[in-house]
Amino acid sequence: MKRLSRLLSPLLIAALVIGSLPAVAAVPDSDLVGTADVLDASTLQQDRERIRDVLARDDVQRQLQLQGVDADEVQARVAALSDAEVSEMADRLDQMPAGASVIGALFAVFVILLVTDILGLTDVYPFTR
Amino acid sequence: MIRLLRQPGNARLAGVFALLSLILILAGCASTPTLSPETARALPQRTLLDDVPFRGQRDYQCGPASLAMALGASDISVDVDTLIPQVFLPGREGSVQPEMLATVRRHGRIPFPVEGGFEALLGELDAGHPVVVMQNLSLPLWPVWHYAVAIGYDRPAEEMVLHSGMTPGRRVAFDRFDATWARSDRWAFVALPSGDLPADDDVDSAIRAITDFESVQGAEAALPAWNALAERHPGSAMTHFAQGNARHATGDADAAIDAFRAATKSDPELAPAWLNLGLLLKARGDAEQARHAFEQAAALPGPWQSRAREALST
Repeated sequence: MKRLSRLLSPLLIAALVIGSLPAVAAVPDSDLVGTADVLDASTLQQDRERIRDVLARDDVQRQLQLQGVDADEVQARVAALSDAEVSEMADRLDQMPAGASVIGALFAVFVILLVTDILGLTDVYPFTR
Repeated sequence: MIRLLRQPGNARLAGVFALLSLILILAGCASTPTLSPETARALPQRTLLDDVPFRGQRDYQCGPASLAMALGASDISVDVDTLIPQVFLPGREGSVQPEMLATVRRHGRIPFPVEGGFEALLGELDAGHPVVVMQNLSLPLWPVWHYAVAIGYDRPAEEMVLHSGMTPGRRVAFDRFDATWARSDRWAFVALPSGDLPADDDVDSAIRAITDFESVQGAEAALPAWNALAERHPGSAMTHFAQGNARHATGDADAAIDAFRAATKSDPELAPAWLNLGLLLKARGDAEQARHAFEQAAALPGPWQSRAREALST
């Protein structure tokens, strides 16, 4: 099993990397330096960055599916993210603020928020105005 | 302290005081955001974008609803129910910021982050761009994250006007709005069609936004944005470089060569512009000029030096 995975993983990485380069492969005749390549050039060696990006995209796809996103939507959602956004989501999706605007467990701190609402520091209860 | 405990009145007073100071520490101080004198002179007293359609949210759906409003204002008619599976995260019962931007790209609009704080927000509104903002309506300890769409402001009344939650055109005092907005580090964006640019002048941020859009929607969709940015910032080498790449990808080699030339003129040290210029000149058959461009690229240290040397030797 271990030998099999040792054999498979480089192949898998290669396949993922090749699969991730449609834009580069699609350039008509001469192979120009892309705009994104130049913007990212200062960060790290590009090949390693690419592999990391592919793995991160995979990771984010998995995480989205775990969060209950439809399987047929997951791919399109991840494809619309930029590389920087993907790596940010791969690293810290759990801690990211998710806009939802519903007051659930907040009832316990009702009084404090009521005071801060009246002071004009928060905007939780519209009836304070 | 012991004395305080013996006297209930004082203890209660001390408790209230402690609670109040705790709240102030938690919340930071809310103060009315001020405008620099130039901005204060330049901006009109009030602005209201009354053509931004309102879409009410159901539970948790302020992300999809805000997107539907911002896209609707930009002539992309898409309803909240279509957007929910595209941006909502059921496990988090909300929508995260990167996916808000990504969904704008999917619908063919460019999300430009608004990074200049309160002044930049008013500036975008004055330019006619509704702004999607993220707020924490509550305190950092018990966050209530919320997306809303800013559609106007009223300086004499010191009020923002927002399409928010179930309320169209809700008026919120500047200081209260800024306090809740500051808790998301004043995160905001505008969704614009390719070719329109934000009022904000930050060229690097615009280049980033258009590049990310281009990698989703392709060069043809991004080209009007590059043309507009190159017109606004004729001295930005990186913009001409990107414009050259987009022109090349849409099959316009001669125009691409012009753009790469403009890039090398603005910044003679931008090696990839020399390299791309050389490659296109070579493909066109201008061997002599191509050689000159490759020599320039090969003389500049950096990640493209080896490719330039390779091109010279073949």
